[in-house]
Amino acid sequence: MDLLKSIEDALINRDMEAVKALTQKALDQKISPNDILNKGLIKGLETIGALFERQEIFVPELLMAGMAMTEALVLLRPALEKSDVPPVGKLVIGTVEGDVHDIGKNIVSMMFTGSGFQVTDLGIDVSAEKFADAVAREKADILALSCLYTPTRLAMKDVIRVIEERNLRNKVKIIIGGAPIDQSFADLIGADGYAPDPPSGVKKVMDWLGK
Amino acid sequence: MKDDKAFQERRARINELRAKNERMSCRERALTAVKHQEPDRVPIDNWMVPEIQKKTMEYFGCDSYEELLGFLGADFRNNYGPSYVGQSFKKHPDGTVEDLWGVKRKTVIYGKGTAHQGSYTEVAESPLEKLKKLEEIEQYDHWASASWWDYSKVKADCNTYHPEYCVINVGDRLDRTAQLKPMMYLRGIQQIFVDMVMNPKIVEAIRDHIISYFIEYNHSVFKAAGGAIDIFMMGDDIGGQTGPLISLDMWRKFFKKGFKTYIDIAHQYGIPIMYHTCGDVKQFIPDFIECGLDILQSLQPKATNMDIKKLKEQFGKDIVFQGGMDIQHVLPLGKPEDVKAMAKYALDSAKQGGGYIICTAHNIQIDTPIENVVALFEAYHEYGKY
Repeated sequence: MDLLKSIEDALINRDMEAVKALTQKALDQKISPNDILNKGLIKGLETIGALFERQEIFVPELLMAGMAMTEALVLLRPALEKSDVPPVGKLVIGTVEGDVHDIGKNIVSMMFTGSGFQVTDLGIDVSAEKFADAVAREKADILALSCLYTPTRLAMKDVIRVIEERNLRNKVKIIIGGAPIDQSFADLIGADGYAPDPPSGVKKVMDWLGK
Repeated sequence: MKDDKAFQERRARINELRAKNERMSCRERALTAVKHQEPDRVPIDNWMVPEIQKKTMEYFGCDSYEELLGFLGADFRNNYGPSYVGQSFKKHPDGTVEDLWGVKRKTVIYGKGTAHQGSYTEVAESPLEKLKKLEEIEQYDHWASASWWDYSKVKADCNTYHPEYCVINVGDRLDRTAQLKPMMYLRGIQQIFVDMVMNPKIVEAIRDHIISYFIEYNHSVFKAAGGAIDIFMMGDDIGGQTGPLISLDMWRKFFKKGFKTYIDIAHQYGIPIMYHTCGDVKQFIPDFIECGLDILQSLQPKATNMDIKKLKEQFGKDIVFQGGMDIQHVLPLGKPEDVKAMAKYALDSAKQGGGYIICTAHNIQIDTPIENVVALFEAYHEYGKY
């Protein structure tokens, strides 16, 4: 158990090399990959989220934590697959059409990947049709939409419309985020939820999936 | 100005309030507020995307943007700086165009096929993003030079408005005096954040090139203006919606010295300096004040910790505020009465003793209904009187 605590602590300290080395060590010691994920990395992410919310860490630190988690998952994934642990969920993510900003989306993408999700990242300036295609193709549980530039958030409404037209709306939960987004905007366009930062987005989706 | 009765009626409320409230020239009013004294009414600055400028001009029957500003009672006029005379910006077959720093930029269209269609220019590729070593960064051959500009018309340009209006030297949005922003353009946002943790020497190297360019550039602009610039504006976003993008420690380590250098240069010429940053930057304000900053611009009300009433109480005697009107929710999504309530709240909270210039926290965006734009300016005049 101490090793899992060390993984958690290394992530909280955004020490990428230590996260990688300790994850490998845990695998070598035959600790269940599911435990490494849930009791190490995801637990660390919860603290990262709290630190970010309290304005004790900021975007560079969040980014480093996301990168560390992604690296850990590279080591962990083969073991998860081998022990038949299914992905926590299947998530499609992208920045909506007309918006080319991706720092926030990338951190969210990293943190979902690092929490054991199967992530399909469609990149930036993604059309509503492309989102719907990917949701259908990947049989996604979650669609995550990002934007930074205020007027482009209206494109989120279009994505939801196309998802409805393709009869996918009851199959996928939609979470939105980005600087100009809040709960009232999520309600206005009929998204299932909003998250103010990447760690709380992961938490919200985990709750939705009952994980 | 169109004289049809319908337009006259639309303009009547603002005209009536202005006739009642105004006793000073625009420049006097603005500079009085900047000196933390009370003028006749709170000075007004106006930031709008071009599409909203057009819509508002059409609504009030104004034939030009200048005519619109004159009618609305906007006290400030922007000067965009010297003329670029360097090598022509390289155009690439993929439609991207290089900027001053050799950063490829592209035009992005949003809201395609809707009433809200618009466009903006954004970085397509950051030339330093893939470089690994400090030496490679140093070998970059497209650092901007202050000699690429012709400063001879700066004074005449300012004098189009000076001394009737308060002239703000805003520069161009993409080349505005800054540190972090050009670093993001050159190195990529994600990579420069990683560098701040992992490669501080690379951050310092890029930053120093940028600072030395702006030092020379700004000296040249201020000399050329010969006293016709009333306020100098720099802009560098370090705030996000729910907190600063970087820690105060990191800002002190990488950016405080350059920030103060820019302020000191403007002050050498007797010019107050306004700093634009979006987002929550509350914990930085004591450092801004210590560096001698005169005016903090934006006060994005939907960002955490940026409530104007609290900021005025805590910092209002040491720094002037400009902004405070929400473009993210109230203006695009609210009703005219919400807009008026927002303006009243800011004016009631911040006008006392001067030191407040009312404006939107950023450009009024394309998805804003015209009724809300009208309500905003009527409210400025209804509640701005001293």
